[in-house]
Amino acid sequence: MSRILKFILAANLIVLAVLVFVYPNLMVGPGKLIPGHKQLETDCFACHFPLTGADSARCVVCHKKADIGVLGTTGQPIAKPLTTTPFHQKLLNQDCVACHSDHAGVKRFRSQGHFKHELLEAKTRAECQSCHKSPKDSLHQQITGNCSQCHSQEKWLPATFDHNKYFELDRDHNTRCVTCHLVNDFSRYTCYGCHEHTLDNIRRKHVKEGIRKFDDCVECHRNADEDDIRGEGGDRKHGDRD
Amino acid sequence: MTTSLWRQHILPFAVILGLLAAVTVAGDFVLHRLGLVWVGRYLGIPGTILIIGSLIYSLRKRKFITSGNPKTLLQLHEFTAWLGSSMVLIHAGIHFNAILPWLATIAMGVNVVSGMVGKMLLDRSRRHVQGQREHYNLRGLSRPEVEQAVFWNAVTLDAMTKWRKVHIPIFIVFSVLAVGHIISVFLFWGWI
Repeated sequence: MSRILKFILAANLIVLAVLVFVYPNLMVGPGKLIPGHKQLETDCFACHFPLTGADSARCVVCHKKADIGVLGTTGQPIAKPLTTTPFHQKLLNQDCVACHSDHAGVKRFRSQGHFKHELLEAKTRAECQSCHKSPKDSLHQQITGNCSQCHSQEKWLPATFDHNKYFELDRDHNTRCVTCHLVNDFSRYTCYGCHEHTLDNIRRKHVKEGIRKFDDCVECHRNADEDDIRGEGGDRKHGDRD
Repeated sequence: MTTSLWRQHILPFAVILGLLAAVTVAGDFVLHRLGLVWVGRYLGIPGTILIIGSLIYSLRKRKFITSGNPKTLLQLHEFTAWLGSSMVLIHAGIHFNAILPWLATIAMGVNVVSGMVGKMLLDRSRRHVQGQREHYNLRGLSRPEVEQAVFWNAVTLDAMTKWRKVHIPIFIVFSVLAVGHIISVFLFWGWI
């Protein structure tokens, strides 16, 4: 290779090397940064640690954990927050880059900010109302808590609760939830909330049949049909005695 | 003569280059369809390893290593460089982000085309030195020895020497740009 060619080659490569340091965003950055980080475009090490990449430790220098979703990095309240309830404070892992990518080129490969309830601390996960408001419809206005009986944490719809699995709500039992579930406590029920069933008449009927254990009605009665009686561990008729 | 030039040089040249483009487009398409775009991101690693591996021939040619059949190593050089390049092209995809990796990709493309021109020239040189076989046979050399002697004569022919003066700088530019891209990836990407 001639000396002139070597010189031209070296000069070009040196120019390129200089350009990398002067315009790192254009030369090596994988696409534009998000608008909020535009001012960091030439300062790669504002977010990246050498050899280990972007790190949450750098994110929290500007984005204080307690302020995320509430205040901006300048301390001003966020005018239009992306979520109605701040949740970053309640995440199991404070790993920002697991969900967020700032470069356009990286965003193409990863789903951005895809929230999952599993990311939340167990305590927060169990307290739906700490983030969600109950819908205003007549059904939900009767209910407090126990959302997971009907709704999964994957999707709000479809609501998968099948009441018939526990008790069929036929025309005689198509009533308000609170009739059976007192104070909307869906972990319990009573069959004595209406005029038809009283403790006295139920006891009389069962004792007459020789049945003494009748405190948990749905253990045997899954509907109003008196001939369709199931016991624990299989079908059972009233004729079966304790 | 025209038919011969077309069949012996231009057609194989176009087929190999077209195949490289086709494999790249098909590979990228399949990865997108299967939702495996992230695989393309990592194809740069085996692609680079294959290209580095292809340099064994260059070391053998310059006598840095002395074992290995040079003809076989040249075929290996052509194949691994082609396969590695196709992997790197899929890795590059059609996403235009940073300038440095794209310069490296372009340099690699020029390098591949240059390599194929070299292959074409070598083929011509080989035909040119065919007549020397008889000379070596008369000197009582064994068949493998004759093959090696003819091969070395072909690769050191004047046209090949001139071509190498172009190919090597192209390779150096490609290497430097590729190394720059690799360093920047190591520097900014979180591997852990």
